[in-house]
Amino acid sequence: MTTVVEVESLTKRFGALVAVDDLSFSLRQGTITGFLGPNGAGKTTTLRTLLGLAAPTAGKALVFGKPYGELQRPALRVGAVLEATDFHPGRSGRDHLRSLGRATGLPDSRADEVLDLVELRTAAKRRVKTYSLGMRQRLGLAAALLGDPELLVLDEPANGLDPEGVRWLRDILRAFAREGHTVLISSHVLAEVAQVVDQVVIINRGRLVTEAPLVELTARIGGAVRVRSPELERLSEALQRDGLGGVSRADGSLFVGGVTTDRVGAVAFAAGIPLSELSAESSSLEDVFLELTTEDAR
Amino acid sequence: MMAQANAELLKLRSTRTTAGLLLAAIVLVLLVTLLTGLVSKIPTLTGVANQRGLLGVGGIAGVLAAVAGALLLTGEFRFGTIRPTFLFTPQRSRVIGAKYLAGLLAGLVFGAIGEALSLGIGAAILSGRGIPFALSGGQLALLILGTLAGCALFGVIGVAVGGIVRNQVAAIVGLLAWVFIVDSLLFGLVPSVGRYMPSQAADALSGSSSAHELSAVAGGAVLIAWTAALAAAGFALTARRDVE
Repeated sequence: MTTVVEVESLTKRFGALVAVDDLSFSLRQGTITGFLGPNGAGKTTTLRTLLGLAAPTAGKALVFGKPYGELQRPALRVGAVLEATDFHPGRSGRDHLRSLGRATGLPDSRADEVLDLVELRTAAKRRVKTYSLGMRQRLGLAAALLGDPELLVLDEPANGLDPEGVRWLRDILRAFAREGHTVLISSHVLAEVAQVVDQVVIINRGRLVTEAPLVELTARIGGAVRVRSPELERLSEALQRDGLGGVSRADGSLFVGGVTTDRVGAVAFAAGIPLSELSAESSSLEDVFLELTTEDAR
Repeated sequence: MMAQANAELLKLRSTRTTAGLLLAAIVLVLLVTLLTGLVSKIPTLTGVANQRGLLGVGGIAGVLAAVAGALLLTGEFRFGTIRPTFLFTPQRSRVIGAKYLAGLLAGLVFGAIGEALSLGIGAAILSGRGIPFALSGGQLALLILGTLAGCALFGVIGVAVGGIVRNQVAAIVGLLAWVFIVDSLLFGLVPSVGRYMPSQAADALSGSSSAHELSAVAGGAVLIAWTAALAAAGFALTARRDVE
């Protein structure tokens, strides 16, 4: 598989502050990677260095084997959204896209195509100042998709999106990856991206914490499922027969570790036990960090 | 480079700001031309120097073109569009060069409209008041071409100042203060130095022959030198700095 992004011993300092510290990771073609870390971990700095907006202090950040600045017409290969608000308020969404498209030699008709794709056709000629935050985010994504790229880089794209918008974004990213394309999506909340990413790169204080497939990470954290049933005793026994341990809680629910809701549901169905609640307990990134740092300490 | 220039020209045209500045230039030129032409006593409207002043009012449009140029660059930093702009064209020299070209063309358009107005209205006033036209064909050609060239270079200077200062308000206030206050003050107080300032050089370029002014050729050379120096500084500062 081709390596699309290669970050090697990347360091970025701002005076005395080390924002990115000897960071290395790589992305293979066709993967969706969550780039995770708490606020201030160095995610945005890494992405801006990767995209040629900032110069590395040391190390390399390569896209398709080259520093971003050496790519000719990079928009045809890489699409990126760094801020949801990078628009002139007095310019229409369509003119924003047309001006970017013209810079890289794309016909104006391409702007209309991506406007259709992000469902902004009706607002295309309105000035951006009249757009809602969700519409601005979709316009940002439209700009990223303008050159029909093979790699999408999104910095905290779910910030300010309503649940419907998050689902819509997820669908777009999945469709994008299905075509063999690559996605790098940053977030400070694991739950926000957990449903769409294949692997995660977690950083903290500018350093790599872990680079792992999501399944491995979930196993490490021990993602839990919360289940309620009028026949909790029987359910607990059925789960134990299947090799799954559960912990009863005072509120009458059962917590089952290292399992998916699908599996618990299947076990209950096979045993003919009615369920009154079945949900995945999403772990916060802070939980993951706690788990990982505790492991490191051992 | 031409694709980028095409994009920059669309950016200039696609907000109301540029149209507003052009309108301001038109109003200013109309106002000054009408006031000078209609209020002045006839003896102050005879002679080459006086008539050149009246017919060359259109040069003011260059200052507004400079403001449009400054906004073309500072606006990108103010609203964050510099990020998508540099993502689409990471070759920053290409972006800055295209903006200089857009500033030059904006200056030409502003200058052409402003100068057409002051020339047309000024000439109509002179003939209406029965004042004989004093400029020779050569002087008239120098006035028109010099004003156009001066406005075009001012458009570039505006973009360059935007690249040096980056902060939108500071760039525009600085630009206006420089042209309207610093240059005039310096020329009034120390003409031997002041005549090398951009607005005095631009006046000289369009043929102004008042005391202490440079020759048209020297004025043109000085204005080009200013433009080149500022453009180089604006480029160096924009090409190197990280974009947040």
